[in-house]
Amino acid sequence: MSFRRNGNLSSTLLLIAANVLIPVAIVIFATGFFPYKPLLPGLAQYEPLDGYGEPPEAPFDKLVFMVVDALRSDFVYTTNSGFKFTQSLIRHGAAIPFTAHATSPTVTMPRLKAITTGSVPSFLDVVLNIDEGDESSSLASQDTWLAQMKAKDTGKLVMYGDDTWLKLFPGTFDRADGTTSFFVADFTEVDHNVTRNIPGELRNDDWNTMILHYLGLDHIGHKGGPRSPHMVPKQREMDGIVSQIYKAIETQDHLKSTLFVLCGDHGMNDAGNHGASSPGETSPALLFISPKLKGLQKNQDSPLPDAEDFQFYSTVEQSDLAPTLAALLGFPIPKNNLGVLIADFLSIWPKKADQAYLLHENARQIQTVISAASGTKTFDGALPAESCASPTSDYEQLACEWQGPSNNLMSARVGDDMDSQWALPVVTWLRKAQELMSGMASNYDMSRLILGQITALLAVIFSLSAAIKTVSPTRSLTPLLVISIAYSIMMFASSYVEEEQHFWYLATSTWFGYLTLRGFKRANTTFPAHLLLTAFPVLASLRLLRAWNQTGQKHAGTPDIVKLFIEPHPHFLWLLVGLTYFWTHRQLVYSFHGRIPVPINYPVMTGLVLAAFTFKAAFTLEDAPELVVEFVKSSLLDFTRGASLIARARAVFVGLGLVAMAAMGFILWEMRGAGGNRKRSRRKKGPAEAITTLQHLYTILALTQSRTANIPVFLIFNLLYWFLSSEIDAPDGTGLSTVELGISSLLLQYASFFAMGGSNAISSVDLSNAYNGVSNFNVVLVGILTYVGNWAGPVWWAFGTVVLLGEIWRRDQRQKRLGSGNNGKRGSDEKEEEAEAKQMLEGGQISPFKTYVAVTTLFTAFSVAAVMAACTILRTHLFVWTVFSPKYLYCVAWSLVQHLVINVGLSGLLFWLGSF
Amino acid sequence: MPLVDPVTMSSSAIVKGAVAQSTSTTKSTPGSQATESSTTTAGSSSSLATLRPVQIKQTPAAQTVRHALPAALTALYLLRFDALVTNPVPVMLNALPVVAAFQMTYALLCLPAAGEPASKSNRKPRPGEKKKGGDIGSSTIITALLASVLTSIVTPFLYFAMVLFGAPFLTHGSHTFLCAAHLALLTLFPLFYVHGVDSAAWAAVGGFRAPLDETFGGLVGGIVGAWLGAVPIPLDWDREWQRWPVTILCGAYGGYLLGRVLGGTLFWGKKF
Repeated sequence: MSFRRNGNLSSTLLLIAANVLIPVAIVIFATGFFPYKPLLPGLAQYEPLDGYGEPPEAPFDKLVFMVVDALRSDFVYTTNSGFKFTQSLIRHGAAIPFTAHATSPTVTMPRLKAITTGSVPSFLDVVLNIDEGDESSSLASQDTWLAQMKAKDTGKLVMYGDDTWLKLFPGTFDRADGTTSFFVADFTEVDHNVTRNIPGELRNDDWNTMILHYLGLDHIGHKGGPRSPHMVPKQREMDGIVSQIYKAIETQDHLKSTLFVLCGDHGMNDAGNHGASSPGETSPALLFISPKLKGLQKNQDSPLPDAEDFQFYSTVEQSDLAPTLAALLGFPIPKNNLGVLIADFLSIWPKKADQAYLLHENARQIQTVISAASGTKTFDGALPAESCASPTSDYEQLACEWQGPSNNLMSARVGDDMDSQWALPVVTWLRKAQELMSGMASNYDMSRLILGQITALLAVIFSLSAAIKTVSPTRSLTPLLVISIAYSIMMFASSYVEEEQHFWYLATSTWFGYLTLRGFKRANTTFPAHLLLTAFPVLASLRLLRAWNQTGQKHAGTPDIVKLFIEPHPHFLWLLVGLTYFWTHRQLVYSFHGRIPVPINYPVMTGLVLAAFTFKAAFTLEDAPELVVEFVKSSLLDFTRGASLIARARAVFVGLGLVAMAAMGFILWEMRGAGGNRKRSRRKKGPAEAITTLQHLYTILALTQSRTANIPVFLIFNLLYWFLSSEIDAPDGTGLSTVELGISSLLLQYASFFAMGGSNAISSVDLSNAYNGVSNFNVVLVGILTYVGNWAGPVWWAFGTVVLLGEIWRRDQRQKRLGSGNNGKRGSDEKEEEAEAKQMLEGGQISPFKTYVAVTTLFTAFSVAAVMAACTILRTHLFVWTVFSPKYLYCVAWSLVQHLVINVGLSGLLFWLGSF
Repeated sequence: MPLVDPVTMSSSAIVKGAVAQSTSTTKSTPGSQATESSTTTAGSSSSLATLRPVQIKQTPAAQTVRHALPAALTALYLLRFDALVTNPVPVMLNALPVVAAFQMTYALLCLPAAGEPASKSNRKPRPGEKKKGGDIGSSTIITALLASVLTSIVTPFLYFAMVLFGAPFLTHGSHTFLCAAHLALLTLFPLFYVHGVDSAAWAAVGGFRAPLDETFGGLVGGIVGAWLGAVPIPLDWDREWQRWPVTILCGAYGGYLLGRVLGGTLFWGKKF
């Protein structure tokens, strides 16, 4: 018997080991997969270049940098654009147009980093983009053209628009007015707040850099896509601002040497979203505007016909902005720049020596970056000829190829007579260096990738053996293994990663089809038609969930229930939303019934639910006003008029916290009383019911953090939950087993995530509820709110599972008591008897919670190992940064937060509280 | 029924024969017997525990048809595949009567009709028996017609089941419905022909307790095949055949044929 006890202990130890190894593997792998790029510290200075004189004189001294968020190239350049004035500038040569290639991830913060530093931001910046308060994403300490303009000390820096700039450059701007983009329904106010500052600033002559960042066009894209009826009017509005600034430059003396740059930070796809790397998303417009540029004689055709690939005029890299601005405005190129001076502007400098200087400075600066990255001093002296015959690394190859361009520069410097194409080899070399340094493939730390992989495989082995030891009979693990293995295989195909929801939908429907129809096994003679009647609502619920939000990549934006039935019928939506809140209210009141007197219970819970509901209504009025019906506006919002959204959200959170504390108080109080006879009647149910209170309180939190159109989904969840609960006490002792519940929970957690609009794309992270009740940015709070906002469904199912696990536990306790009463009848199975004897010796059976953790750990270990293997093997795949890396980040969220924190930590705590 | 309980609970301990015995003792009460139209006419072995695998008739015609028809179905499918990909609805519609004729021939020639003694070859013909195996009498034709009526009744339900498992609901209605009709004709028609509306037999089929044979094997294969047919749809290969419902139909046919052949040969009589 002591051996058996050891068996239980060893399975617990294996389980703990697996759960320790999972985060360890994730961290090791991440450090190898997202390598930390060495950043050169400090501000670049002009260093004397051998043989050159002073740096060439810059044609401009002031900069107006106007960013229009999501300004895709065709919005400016094509026939149906609203930028008529800008197009006339292109025709007259006063505007030099480009298509600036933006690398993935095409979201604002990494793009601004690329634009200002000239470097290619690491993929981790995406995470930091969400986690906007992170200090390490701040560029205040890095070398950027803003820092250089400030160091020039020829004027102040002013900024109006998206407050991402303020977060990236704290303390840099002398005058600033940041706008936030919480509500994408705001098309006008957010831009008006920028525009109203322009006339005054154009009259001021105390600044040398003015940054304007307009968000309205991006909002229109998110809301209505690139063909929204608001799009062209917004373009005309932006065109008007271009005209306003250009005319000021033309007419006002203190602005005559002003360079005006108009650009988008990224583009958008046909659905109006961005984040990935489709041509639409990676092709923003970029224009350099000034009357002085007419001298370049670059008069180009405009407008142009539509282009499928969004490439208009010549295409440059977004990072090329940094060295080009450095040359045009006369400051040293930022230290970590990988951009290449745009050669079209070279002819501004009439002397070849000046042109050579600028190119040479660019090359030398990139060589410094290469030397830092490769850890060698490749460019210090001439390389021995033999090592150039067979270069050992890409870096060496590059160093060898430097000879030719370097000779060209030398000749240009001394004024040799050369053909007009002399600069071409230099630019080609620079592009090559840029490509090499931007491609991160060479930066993987293979040993760490493999170490992480091995650790994850160990976690798989541990969790597998723990599950086999914990679960009996072992064959009940088969469905879980099939799911885990199929999922693991799927991770290697990019389209299955993009369309992961189909896997969960099909698996969930099949599994619930099995659960509802397994009663056929009990039915011996008669055809159990009633089972079909149970199966129908359950499967229909799952079908509704599947169709609620269209997610994934391929068919993103195609009709779904939200678009077809919810948005056109707001009355119907609010009926369902009201029903959801009403139902939660009912359950909340019921779970407190008998604990607190009705006169207190009822008003308190009503107040809490009403606060949550009015917050949701008020939030929707800001976020999606077209969804709010008159009834909700007049009846519910009017009597709480004046309360700000932050105050409303805080009221909800504080109320939830207080009621949760009360519920916890009841649990602890009843736990204490559980020992005495006095509370005997309540002993079985007391804390268990308080746990359901916490479950309902979480439901309110989940509703608060979910999009309004997703709220009715919780009614469907309730129906499925009710089915699972009824299956626990199915007749004939064939009730739901813990493993079956674990599998159901796993499937529903994933299916609900996708059903509520989640996907494996970074762009699908929903930030609309991330700032509820938060006025000052707080990483922890915003992080939690973001997580609950996106994983509302999965966390709901984790709560639900704990309550159901408690029910299973009590059912088994009951059956054990019954079984020990008439052991003779039940003891037909020798094994079972033995197991029972063992359990009695140990004073308890295997806790259902342990079995549940074994189930979720097994799947998590499999998924982590599979995603790592896919990322390692496909690290040179075209989609590694757009499909597999985002999947890795999602996998991290699922395994660290959803598995470890929610399914193990939170559920464990709740199960423990409820088991007294 | 108190006796059911020990049976279900002790399935692993008692050998199968014992289960069968205890079940048949439960079932041999006259009341329950009378309400069922059972697969066999023999009294003591009428209950579910002895639901026998369907045996293909031993006549030369039956044996020829048994092997020829799967080949013919495969050939038909391969011949029409390109047309199916470009124009699924008319192709499925036109193929329906052909497949129906195939299945009808198969049922009439090879399968024992419901109500007919199931496994004559195993036992001596009883004295009261009217027909010899292999004859296509009027009663078997009526059984076949009834089976086809039942198949068409069940097709809408199959359609809804497919929708519940993710088939498009608002679009592609005729695609899915025809696909369901094909699936029903392949997998359910033979079962209706051999079991009729015998609820015990259908409960056994639904509970995956029926022994494998050509009919049940075909059902399992067809449904699993159709289910697996959904797998390649999300792949980004952008092929024409990835369109709804080509892969589903392909899986259904492949699975059905495989299940039918394997169920009739290698796994005949085995249970899950």
